[in-house]
Amino acid sequence: MRRARIVFQGNELDITIDANDIIRTSAGDVVDVSLESDQITWLPPVKVPGTIFALGLNYADHATELAFEPPKEPLVFIKHANTLTGHKQVSYRPDGIEFQHYECELVAVIGKTGKNIKREDAMEYVAGYTVCNDFAIRDYLENYYRPNLRVKSRDSLLPMGPWIVDAADVADVSNLRLTTTVNGEVTQDGSTKDMIFDIPFLVEYLSKIMTLNPGDIIATGTPHGVVDMQPGDTVVCSIENICSLETRMVSEQEYYGDRY
Amino acid sequence: MNNKTLVNSKLVCVALNDREQLNAMDSAFNEAPYKQPPTEPVLYYKPRNTWNVEGAAIEWAKDFDGNDVESMVVGASLGVVIGKEACRVNRSQALEYVGGYTIVSDFSLPEKSYYRPDIKGKCLDGSAPVGPEIISAEQIADPDGLVVTIAVNGERKSQFPLLNMERSVAELIETISHIMTLQPGEIIAVGFAGDRVPVAKGDQVAAAIEGVGTLNNTLGGA
Repeated sequence: MRRARIVFQGNELDITIDANDIIRTSAGDVVDVSLESDQITWLPPVKVPGTIFALGLNYADHATELAFEPPKEPLVFIKHANTLTGHKQVSYRPDGIEFQHYECELVAVIGKTGKNIKREDAMEYVAGYTVCNDFAIRDYLENYYRPNLRVKSRDSLLPMGPWIVDAADVADVSNLRLTTTVNGEVTQDGSTKDMIFDIPFLVEYLSKIMTLNPGDIIATGTPHGVVDMQPGDTVVCSIENICSLETRMVSEQEYYGDRY
Repeated sequence: MNNKTLVNSKLVCVALNDREQLNAMDSAFNEAPYKQPPTEPVLYYKPRNTWNVEGAAIEWAKDFDGNDVESMVVGASLGVVIGKEACRVNRSQALEYVGGYTIVSDFSLPEKSYYRPDIKGKCLDGSAPVGPEIISAEQIADPDGLVVTIAVNGERKSQFPLLNMERSVAELIETISHIMTLQPGEIIAVGFAGDRVPVAKGDQVAAAIEGVGTLNNTLGGA
């Protein structure tokens, strides 16, 4: 089953989507609309997002692309719900920068509370998987708590969704093709098999440090192939058997409107 | 997360905001891996699993082998509680967005490096008590004039006048609210004395700000 949150005809709905793309509300009523319909507003799929952990340099080829040695220990940073937005929503490019890029990532959503979880038990704590785009702005990097909040905590720069696929429905999460297109052109083509620290490792690692809770989110990093994004661009991050996440870039002024 | 926490949704902390510490570390910050001193506020989160309350016992941290860590430290900060949604506010209006003030203690492993996010050091369960209460903003005329002290077992170990902060409360609200829209109840810990205070198992730690209160916690594991 797939699970999502949408706004449809003015109502915020928690929905399930079955193998035939039939949408049902949590009460079991069928919602008569196509998944492709513009009448659906997609919300971030985790209803109550907790701590968002994101991985840096978790694919060896991407680490090399950024001129870093692949890390010996996970590079983890934290984000919060202000960064989240849904499928087919907008993300903004800050004014006056040189290089902002997407990062297509497999996301594991934690489903139950745990501390000191062993690697072999880790998958029991994962409720499902989705896709996120963990945008980065290279201009704002400094060598303090890198990557810093100025890069990684901006409003709207973590689109996620459109849905969560139940963990039981994904046969092998460690061998999924991951692709990104910008304006229809493929710019990133990798596989989750090239992750340095896989999901069981990350669940074990993080839960040795702290308690993981339902709604916590692990964004597992991106492979090689990142390019600059400009307002007007459409970026689609896709992971085989999970979902495709579309985002349209806007300017900072367009995003903030009256608050700009 | 402690259900009685005073934090709503987010606790942002400002590191390296003690001018004396910045001056003392200037040569280190001009070398690798930093290469140059920070040009922007250095921020980190204490995530929800860390949030704790007045009176709570703070767990002594374990290393990855399950053994007690050798050393822990504590820092204390004024906690600025956002009162209304703050999106891209100017420093001249920033204090209008403050609903109140409280105290944040940050228990952690010693700060050995600022190069990478310090998840292992800063994200320990229950390591961020906030309290004892939130004092309404009207009662504090000049937040930058406050002094934060830490006493361990009744003996004063640290005294940090916020006038020694590199960046003021209003300036930080301006900068942070241009990165992220801040919501009511979110808290910014605006600055810690550069020298964190070493603590031992069983220690009683009192973080205090005159006019805001005293936040008392005990280290567990004794």
